[in-house]
Amino acid sequence: MNGPSLNQFLILSALLFAVGVYGLLTRRNLIAMLMSVEIILNSAALNFVAFHHFRWGGDAAGAVFPIFIIAVAAAEAAVVLAIVIVLFRHKQQLDVEQADSLKH
Amino acid sequence: MNTFLFYLFSAAALLSAYFVVTVHNLFRAAMGLIGVLLSIAGLYLLVDAQFLSAVQIMVYVGGIVVLIVYVVLLVADVAQKQVHHAATWRKAVAGFLAAALFTLLAVAAHSHDFGVAQVPARSASVTEIGTALLSPERNGYVLPFEVISLVLVAAIVGAITIARGAGSDKKEAK
Repeated sequence: MNGPSLNQFLILSALLFAVGVYGLLTRRNLIAMLMSVEIILNSAALNFVAFHHFRWGGDAAGAVFPIFIIAVAAAEAAVVLAIVIVLFRHKQQLDVEQADSLKH
Repeated sequence: MNTFLFYLFSAAALLSAYFVVTVHNLFRAAMGLIGVLLSIAGLYLLVDAQFLSAVQIMVYVGGIVVLIVYVVLLVADVAQKQVHHAATWRKAVAGFLAAALFTLLAVAAHSHDFGVAQVPARSASVTEIGTALLSPERNGYVLPFEVISLVLVAAIVGAITIARGAGSDKKEAK
């Protein structure tokens, strides 16, 4: 079978990671930064799956950890979006550089 | 055929990811994020990880992105009016850092021999994943599985507490 190889998956995941880091560094909107973090988390999960398939012959650990990554991403999204709503209520905007105080 | 599909899904994932990090309209960025997540679900199918592909689509696209879209629509006016264009130097520095990071990762991946040829390529079946998730044996993950449910409950209770605001009880009483 001449499908894609492990290295091709690693390069793709590194590219996605770099795009996510670029987004995290350039965007100043909190929701946009959250979406960049989701891309980064996905590239990490892709690495887990690629190694589990090509290197470890289907060891279940490589399939279990992406599930945990998705669960943690869901928890993170819930908390960040609650903070977004409160921040917007207080400041009427979501620029992270204006959000420099813990109390209103 | 598999190689062609791999390049197709990769191109789709990278283009949508670039769209997500550059477009200014947050709703469009969320649609781009759906593209990234669906392409990665397709890549999971390519390596025989059907269960993960289904989880990715159900939880990410059906849950997290819907949550993000709801919040984007709640704060919709900010997504349209107050657009902050990042400074050119900021973009240049970020691009340089991202490129350096990619180079580092690519060199590391290429220079190391992972020993791929030692085992035949296959993926875990749904039965194996389920057994591993609920087994208390040495290779089982029942403790992390239970802890992650606590994390989710704590996150959701915390999110509700934060979003309600400190004064909402008193307002309702009046």
